[in-house]
Amino acid sequence: MIDYIIRRLIFAVPVLLGVSLITFILLNVVPGDPVVEMLGKHADPAAVEKIRNQLGLNDPLYIQFGRFLWNACRGDLGKSFKTGQPVTKMILDTFPTTVKLALSSAFVAIVVGLTVGIISAVKQYSFFDHASMIVALAGISAPIFWVAVVGQLIFGLHLKWLPISGYSTPKHIILPAVVLGIRFAASIARYTRSTFLDVIRQDYIRTARAKGLAERAVIFGHALKNALIPVVTVIGMQISGLLTGSILTETIFAIPGLGRLSLWALSNRDFPLVQGIVLFTAVIFVIGNLIVDISYAFLDPRVRLQ
Amino acid sequence: MEKRVLSVLLVMLIIASVLTGCSRSADKAEPPESSQIKKGGVLNDYLEDDPNGFDVQENTLLVTYTLARHLYSTLLRYKGDTLELEPELLAKMPEVSPDGRTYTFELKKGVKFHDGTTELVADDVKFTIERMLNPNGRGMSTWLFEPILGAKEFMEGKATSLEGFKKIDDYRFQIILEKPYAPFLHNLAVPAASIYSEKLVKAAGDNWRLNPIGTGPFRLKSYVPNTEIVLEKNPYYFEPGLPYLDGIHYRIVPDATTALMEFENGTLDVCTIPVNEYQRIKDSGKYEVLEGVALNTYYFLMNMSDPMWSDVRLRKAVAMAIDKEKLVQALYGPRGTVAKSFVTPGIPGAYEEGTGPAYDYNPEEAKKLIRELGNIGKLQAWQRGGDRLSDANVAIQAMLKEVGIDLEITIVEKAAFGDARSKGKIPATHGNWWADIPDPDNYLHTFFARTNQMSSGYNNKKVQDLLEKARTEVDAEKRKELYRRIEDIIIREDVAVIPLFHIKSLLATQKNVKGIIMHPTGINIYTYAYKEIQ
Repeated sequence: MIDYIIRRLIFAVPVLLGVSLITFILLNVVPGDPVVEMLGKHADPAAVEKIRNQLGLNDPLYIQFGRFLWNACRGDLGKSFKTGQPVTKMILDTFPTTVKLALSSAFVAIVVGLTVGIISAVKQYSFFDHASMIVALAGISAPIFWVAVVGQLIFGLHLKWLPISGYSTPKHIILPAVVLGIRFAASIARYTRSTFLDVIRQDYIRTARAKGLAERAVIFGHALKNALIPVVTVIGMQISGLLTGSILTETIFAIPGLGRLSLWALSNRDFPLVQGIVLFTAVIFVIGNLIVDISYAFLDPRVRLQ
Repeated sequence: MEKRVLSVLLVMLIIASVLTGCSRSADKAEPPESSQIKKGGVLNDYLEDDPNGFDVQENTLLVTYTLARHLYSTLLRYKGDTLELEPELLAKMPEVSPDGRTYTFELKKGVKFHDGTTELVADDVKFTIERMLNPNGRGMSTWLFEPILGAKEFMEGKATSLEGFKKIDDYRFQIILEKPYAPFLHNLAVPAASIYSEKLVKAAGDNWRLNPIGTGPFRLKSYVPNTEIVLEKNPYYFEPGLPYLDGIHYRIVPDATTALMEFENGTLDVCTIPVNEYQRIKDSGKYEVLEGVALNTYYFLMNMSDPMWSDVRLRKAVAMAIDKEKLVQALYGPRGTVAKSFVTPGIPGAYEEGTGPAYDYNPEEAKKLIRELGNIGKLQAWQRGGDRLSDANVAIQAMLKEVGIDLEITIVEKAAFGDARSKGKIPATHGNWWADIPDPDNYLHTFFARTNQMSSGYNNKKVQDLLEKARTEVDAEKRKELYRRIEDIIIREDVAVIPLFHIKSLLATQKNVKGIIMHPTGINIYTYAYKEIQ
């Protein structure tokens, strides 16, 4: 197992290198000068040149990329063009907020999604099954900003049960976690239902029932673990996505997370910050995928980590 | 039996609600005595962006300017909500030499920075200006001090001291300009020209941007990035009795709809009203709605160096095809007024409201011109990403269609738009200009001079000479004449820009919030603001 993890981590190096190179090329290819963006309407050529020199933007591209790589290897992602703060600090300042939001919404989504998915599969073609799948379809289809505003209006402004926005108490996290979790729950529910239906039609389930096992033991003891393998893949990918920030949710609810930082960095063409965030995001995905792969072995002993 | 119980309950409910209603109206009928009302409190406000620091020399964002007005002071400021300058850190208005080049300043004595011990002296002013112009520094608003003698050499690193700054003593100094520059005093009132303390900035080093120490009415209490900024009253403020507020609590709320909901929920005391919510908020009667004149012009600019837009007849046809009255009414209602000139009325040297060289709506004449031009093909314009101009652009597109002009509008991401604008590559655009200073130079020189043209592609040597002459002319009447001539040529003869409308700023406050000054430059002043506390 340890060998497998080490090997996977070694393979991650070219992935991260590739991601950094592609990001660097894209940032330099797409139109938009970070200095012009900083100076705004008073971007006269002399001022632009002065700032470009200071930021090292007049150096050849290979030197700029080499400098980034060299510093990144030493754990230094550079300084933000716009704020002058270390990129690593800016990412690490916002990441815990995103982690809290991601884990809260993942909790909502997994609990709701798995429960609804399993019940729908077990009670196939029942009223619950039809109703929950329609709601799940709506959950996947509804734009997140719309769900967020409706949630704010109902639970924040009219009922006054929850804060409309902000991030100072645990109560503040409930509404954004539910809003973000709904879409995630909907996809987990639909996935769980479909994989569960496949599993409960298998011979070994019929055998278990024929042996006279209680339905509860059949579902939770035999079907659930096998049905969860594809679902875990979906959950793993979704959590990795959530951990790298949800731009819309964080913006609407004024949550100071990584998603908002990414948007800010991109719209300001803050090259070091964008590169730092992309690299960090890539690391999260690599680790997320690794955890998903390792969890297969626990769920299904037939899966051997090669 | 059940019916009887229900009836009794119903009667009791009605009596209770009537009594409650009576007691509430009684509350309303007896407002507290004015002597019981105290001025103070903490104002709950919001910012759309995080300033990411408080060094106003490093940042040109409106939020940074807003905060700078609370934290720092400038040599001059605007009197209330007027465009008239008055001394802020100065003891009196500066004396100007007859040739308009030498300004003599005298600082107020005893002005303390937020630490309560450091006193403002002339060296601080010199330090502030040199810090902005320092070739190794991060000063973004160098344009403010560029007219000073020796600024160019200093910026290029050819001089170690600014030639045009002469210290007389600790409180008196002179600034000598390279050549007369009429708007210079206005530059000194821009928040980016806030005066720093040499001693405190040097002591703070890299921490300065997050630990500002100014002379403004409020000082920084705490800052949580992307979450909140808490300011408290400056006990050493040089104007006795001010500010009234005990502090300001800013939350960072990027979404306008969320901010409005927070305001209606009572968790914010102040809110910029989105245009489409104006009537509802006003009609509700629950809030104070403040309307302020703002120095802006919404325009349609065509890049004259782009072959597509180079024929003056086409630009003239566009100018006559847009029904500005209809456009502004549909988009902004009473909040907007039709623009007849590019420089906003009210600015010294600008046309008076309702007058100006802009073409009136004349679709027949526009159609005639288009027929004359023959096949003009599909024209291109851009919209800056993030700007809320789509409704206006759709209306303009439809109006142009009526006279036979096919205009395609592309939304371009804001950084790419800014880049293209600096290179003069935008074909045409509907945009807006919010002036930094109330001077025609800030509008006309920015768009139509030889450099930094905002992609106007303008190249009329006569106008460009007149622009240089106007900025060095010190006689107000002569300047006014020059700017009128310039606007006449730009708008009427060359049709380089089509002024569309000007809009007012709108701000809603809770009923107990008073004394906010909405300045036409777009910055709200809270020095005299307060909450009525019973």
